Amino acid sequence: MLRYGQRVTVFDGGMGSEIEKRGLSGIPEDLNITHPREISAIHCAYSSADCITTNTFGLNAIKYRGAFGLKELAEKAVENARTAGKPVFFDIGPTGAALKPVGTLTFDEAYDAFAEMVGYTKDIVDGYILETFSDLYEIKAAVLAVKENSDKPVFATMTFDGSGRTLTGSTPEIAAYTLEGLGVDAVGVNCSLGPKELQSIVGRFLACCSVPVIVQPNCGLPVLENGRTVYKLSVEEFYSYIEKFVGMGAAIVGGCCGTTPEFIDAISRLSGKEVRRPSVAACTAVCSATRKVEIDGVKICGERLNPTGKKKLKEALLSGDYGYLVGEAVSQQEAGADLLDLNVGLPQIDEARVMRKAVTEIQEYCDLPLQIDSSSAEAIEAGVRYYNGIPLINSVNGDGQVMDKIFPVAKKYGAVVLGLAMDKNGVPQTAEKRFEVAKRIVERAGEYGIPRHKIMIDTLVLTASAEQSLVKETVKALLLVKNLGVKTALGVSNVSYGLPNRGLLNKTFLTMAMTCGLNMPIINPLDGEMTGAVKAFEVLSGIDENSEKYIEEYKDYSAEVSAVGTASSKAEKGGVNNLYDCVLKGIKSQAAVLCNKELEKHGPMTVVNQSVIKALDEVGRAYDGGKLFLPQLISSAEAAQLAFGVISQRLPKGESGKGVVVLATVKGDVHDIGKNIVKAVTQSYGYEVIDLGKDVPCEKVVEACLEYKPSALGLSALMTTTVKSMEETVAAVKGAGCVCPVFVGGAVLNATVAKNIGADYYTKDALEFVKTLDCVLNK
Amino acid sequence: MNFLKLTKSVYAYLGFHSYAPDAHADGLIEECLKEVEKLSHFRYVYKYFGSPPAFLQKKPYENYLKGCGGVIISVMTLGAEIDRRLSYYGISDRTKAVVFDACASAYLENLSDEYEKTIADNLSYRFCPGYGGSDVADLKYIFEILQPEKIGMSLTDSFYMLPCKSMAGIIAVGGTHKKSCGGCALKEHCRYLKEGTKCYGTDNE
Repeated sequence: MLRYGQRVTVFDGGMGSEIEKRGLSGIPEDLNITHPREISAIHCAYSSADCITTNTFGLNAIKYRGAFGLKELAEKAVENARTAGKPVFFDIGPTGAALKPVGTLTFDEAYDAFAEMVGYTKDIVDGYILETFSDLYEIKAAVLAVKENSDKPVFATMTFDGSGRTLTGSTPEIAAYTLEGLGVDAVGVNCSLGPKELQSIVGRFLACCSVPVIVQPNCGLPVLENGRTVYKLSVEEFYSYIEKFVGMGAAIVGGCCGTTPEFIDAISRLSGKEVRRPSVAACTAVCSATRKVEIDGVKICGERLNPTGKKKLKEALLSGDYGYLVGEAVSQQEAGADLLDLNVGLPQIDEARVMRKAVTEIQEYCDLPLQIDSSSAEAIEAGVRYYNGIPLINSVNGDGQVMDKIFPVAKKYGAVVLGLAMDKNGVPQTAEKRFEVAKRIVERAGEYGIPRHKIMIDTLVLTASAEQSLVKETVKALLLVKNLGVKTALGVSNVSYGLPNRGLLNKTFLTMAMTCGLNMPIINPLDGEMTGAVKAFEVLSGIDENSEKYIEEYKDYSAEVSAVGTASSKAEKGGVNNLYDCVLKGIKSQAAVLCNKELEKHGPMTVVNQSVIKALDEVGRAYDGGKLFLPQLISSAEAAQLAFGVISQRLPKGESGKGVVVLATVKGDVHDIGKNIVKAVTQSYGYEVIDLGKDVPCEKVVEACLEYKPSALGLSALMTTTVKSMEETVAAVKGAGCVCPVFVGGAVLNATVAKNIGADYYTKDALEFVKTLDCVLNK
Repeated sequence: MNFLKLTKSVYAYLGFHSYAPDAHADGLIEECLKEVEKLSHFRYVYKYFGSPPAFLQKKPYENYLKGCGGVIISVMTLGAEIDRRLSYYGISDRTKAVVFDACASAYLENLSDEYEKTIADNLSYRFCPGYGGSDVADLKYIFEILQPEKIGMSLTDSFYMLPCKSMAGIIAVGGTHKKSCGGCALKEHCRYLKEGTKCYGTDNE
């Protein structure tokens, strides 16, 4: 197999402009069959390059719309490329469809489309080049598709714009870290901009990864002349930039849009030159598609997505209420967590399936990196595979069998692994023995090709109540394992089980541990005392330079303000002193406190009717009369909902609400802000809402109606094109024998359309929905 | 960008119409506009045609393009990060989600207006598949022509443009057609009309 990276390899240049030059048009991939001579001639014109790229950029089942078979086209494309007499790299471009969450394509659908092409070509090409990707998740699917179906080298390049980000917001550092983790043979940038504009992006790639870096720029920035796009950089200028990239350490160079054989002839002079680049300092980091978190100093890992001891989360996992998980994730992000632990382990569930679903749901809303936490290797792989970025795996321990199961998964996906300093025999008593286990973990990881910076060690917290003398061993072990060159983690609050005033012990222990080098406390970020201790530590240890973060956080601090709740936005309004006014004005931060205050004097139903509903009705009247606007209506709804949350705890089970309402935005429709408004208002009136989300297939709606037997079903659609899908959903629900009334709403609907598609009610907005619902159900 | 100019559109999207908002609302709008500006990556693709491409040679496009000297087909987007933030606010703060959504729409409209001015003078207003009884499915032709995948846009099977804050425009160069309520499908239920106002500014009239 060819080796890349030690000496400069030159790739070919643009295909599109050469096709155009020869007067050919139509789908470029079809030309492989309809005009093989011309395409071969283009490849031959590039024969000064060391490697030739096939004319297959748009060739996959999702993007290709031509008349030929994919296999036939792929084979023919390789045959044409072979005529240049050089190693042939099969070109794979993006599907052109947006992946979830931005679009509707799933990770598996993208994977299958790429894997199909690899299947056709794995024995006839010398490697694969993934080009012009702008979505990290999609290129991850493509890399896995190549690596799982072929043993040929794979180069992966993405496009960046002038702001230094891909279209979906990934930086070069995130792209490099993720793709290197996935084991690509070269990583870099193509297309995007001209070489001049790419200089800093190339520099950033070279500074953050150790795999060979590939650069294939456009021929300068495009200029529009007489309605045609032209590129104006001269061969000499292009060469001088490429020479500069090679000097910086780029190992593979070529051209993209606008470059021609003359450009490649010029840069082919650089072929074979020894590649020299400065070594890159490795760091321990995790990342999502848009956020890279280096585990240095102290980083807070939120612990709340773990069902142990959490009744509500358990219920949510059992009932498939992923909205609850997302809410927990977002509230931890709001509270300042740097990454989030995710554990879905319950004996009654298919953990791998739930893990996968939880990962995809959470990453749609929350951009904090995740720690995939499970004792099942299968669940870990499910989580890591569908994670968009480089996650942390929690965990392995010194048991060889566990390591042999988990390390291959970590290696394959580039994950960081948290190792617990214990083994089959339990937690060693002394710090020294825990250090020995940690050392074993690091060494075994090395045998799997996992470097030290991808390992973290948890020196394990035991409870002070049961094993008081061992608390200091945990802290001492932190100091010892630092010598292994790894970062450390601890589940801090374990220390206080069984003792009163746990918060005080937790905070004190956290401070002790941070002083001894704890990098990642796994704590509840909603506990202001704990996150406060971290912020204070960062000041006192010099991490928070000039105390900037600390001052920003506490500049308005006054000793009298207790931690009643945080304002939802900087613009939140001032104080009120009763629940009615609180709901009327939509002041979320005080809803729970004022509700509790009223519950001291009145029964729950009185509070509901005299304060919450009364205020909501007043808000509704004002909104209808045009005296309030939409955000105010929603603020009130949210405040009311918080009050209902408090009240429902005082009511006997089963009497907590008025009934269940299932809501969904129909299949094909991805705009759900209207449905979300209906949800907020409906919940504020005390209904339980099962929100199926957007782009929901008929079957899912039917399934939910059969399962929850709701009092009503609400469907939304924004555009004429999805009214059809709404009609199908209504028919399916009625056909399955569901008797609940079906409400529809959305910009393109009215009472007539609603009737025509078989719905029972049309309501024009959220308020009318709830009012009609109240009437219908009280009949 | 001058946010004051945008605030009027934001009010309208949020249902203020002729009513005066309060200081709290203004604060939230300003906060959201700042964040929209920070997270937006405005990108566009356009192509100029001396004579209208085939898919525009039917009603109501013909009416709109009557007498024009050429036509610009264009798409523009604020990018995926806005969508992601919107999803986030949908969970963390639904009030803010609604305001943020309106702000992003107003911001996109405004940036699009500004960039169009840099392409050519004497442009008419933006017409889009779906307006005036035209078929929203015509967006597929625009996507075929412009291939805006390169700027991160895609079209779903039900003709939604993604990311959510994206627009398409058919713009007559030197046309004489003006916006009017006459051909609007929503005129019977239009809240603007009931209040004696219009959904569009007067500068296009």
